[in-house]
Amino acid sequence: MAILECIGLSKRFGKVQALEEINLKVEPGRVIGLLGPNGSGKTTLIKLANGLLTPSQGEILIDGMAPGRESKAIVSYLSDKEYLPDWMSARQLMDFFEDFYEDFDRARAEEMLRHLGIDETMRIKQMSKGTREKVQLILVMSRQAKLYLLDEPIGGVDPATRDYILDTIIRNYNPSAAVIISTHLIADVEQVLDEVIFIQNGHLLLQTTVDEIREEQGKSVDQYFREVFKC
Amino acid sequence: MLGKLLKHEFRATGRTMLPVFAAVVVLTVLANFSIRMIENDMGTMLNILFGLVIAAFFICILAATIMTIVMMVKRFYTNYLKDEGYLMHTLPVSVHELVWSKMIVSVVWFLATFLLIWLVIILTVLFQTGTNLAEIFAQLPSWEEIRAAMAEIGVRESELWLMLLESLLLTIVGGLFTCLHFYAAMSLGHMFSKDKILLSVVFFVGISFVLSLASTGYNVMRVQNFENLLNAVDSARDGLRFVRTMLHEGLIVELVESAALYVATTLSLKKGLNLA
Repeated sequence: MAILECIGLSKRFGKVQALEEINLKVEPGRVIGLLGPNGSGKTTLIKLANGLLTPSQGEILIDGMAPGRESKAIVSYLSDKEYLPDWMSARQLMDFFEDFYEDFDRARAEEMLRHLGIDETMRIKQMSKGTREKVQLILVMSRQAKLYLLDEPIGGVDPATRDYILDTIIRNYNPSAAVIISTHLIADVEQVLDEVIFIQNGHLLLQTTVDEIREEQGKSVDQYFREVFKC
Repeated sequence: MLGKLLKHEFRATGRTMLPVFAAVVVLTVLANFSIRMIENDMGTMLNILFGLVIAAFFICILAATIMTIVMMVKRFYTNYLKDEGYLMHTLPVSVHELVWSKMIVSVVWFLATFLLIWLVIILTVLFQTGTNLAEIFAQLPSWEEIRAAMAEIGVRESELWLMLLESLLLTIVGGLFTCLHFYAAMSLGHMFSKDKILLSVVFFVGISFVLSLASTGYNVMRVQNFENLLNAVDSARDGLRFVRTMLHEGLIVELVESAALYVATTLSLKKGLNLA
């Protein structure tokens, strides 16, 4: 069964059509790039999958379920916002995740924090922006979820951290799970992707494998993206 | 999961409320000491200093009261409607659990603040008037005496207990209503993409207007009934029953209004959540 399925999914904000008639299926065991220019509807699609927005039309299913408390237990979500309470320390946040998510692997989170030299007792507000992003990602990737939804996970970090984050994603995700990475920094994530979904102005342009793009178009995903989304 | 939400909510709010409570206790001790010192008149400068401590005590009591309301509003706003909402609304919990956890914790802090303030005021009065607490207790009528007095006017013990319970219930529902009034206004205001805070204020005023209109309408409808009941009062027992009837009416109105606000809050969080 598809871990994520959109059937005629549309989302409208007043007069703005953010997504229109999206039909797609994501199978487990794949790393998928959700790619598109700014304002194409990537974040809206991810928010719909998390139940943070309600569809205007159509439906979105997570492992066959409409977004709700059951689906949230199997989805691990990284927002593009800094969303952790800044008065909490990394240790308190691990307590929090351990309390709410049965699939949270604390030992793994502690190991990653140690590896990155992040003090567990330090509060979020005392950390640099980059360190905060690392803590968010460590918490999200320390879950054994069925679906990981990562919205701009490498947006604001330096190239060395970017490599570590991608490596973390690949090393840590449950092989029977799917990972959806939304970004416009394609060259950086291309190496880890199995599939890509291109969206523009709320429309699904294409869903295909990275190998197909390379074989049929003779181009990298980055080159193909630039061609498709040429201004 | 409600228990876990409550645990984390108490942890988050306790960081602010416990130091405020500690400040109230410390200032109570200092204010009592200062009152004694002023009575001993140790010079103008010292009197001014002690006066300032006493003023700080009253300001602190006022601040503690305001803080419970500010905390209730701020926690809902920052935790559910701002960036932290991305964490809270993706937890495997229902919207009902999210709303109840905030309401329960806020009402507990309301009650705790109320009790603490009464306690420090009573202790201050006792200390300053040199009254011995044991003496006061000795003078209070025993439960047996109260029961006997009530039996004399035909009021059963169970009725007394029920009235106490109903008063407590009215206080709790009043606390829940206050929370829900703010929660509903904020949740409705944040369904829109722009001017979320301004719209929250507009909804707050609008809700106040509609509710006062509804409760006035209800009271107008019932006024004849209340009048008949009041006219029928010709003993202390009837008087007590009239008070209880009024209590019930108040409770019903507040419950109905709270239920409407609860539906507005949970529906707008569930269907209209629109985090920036």
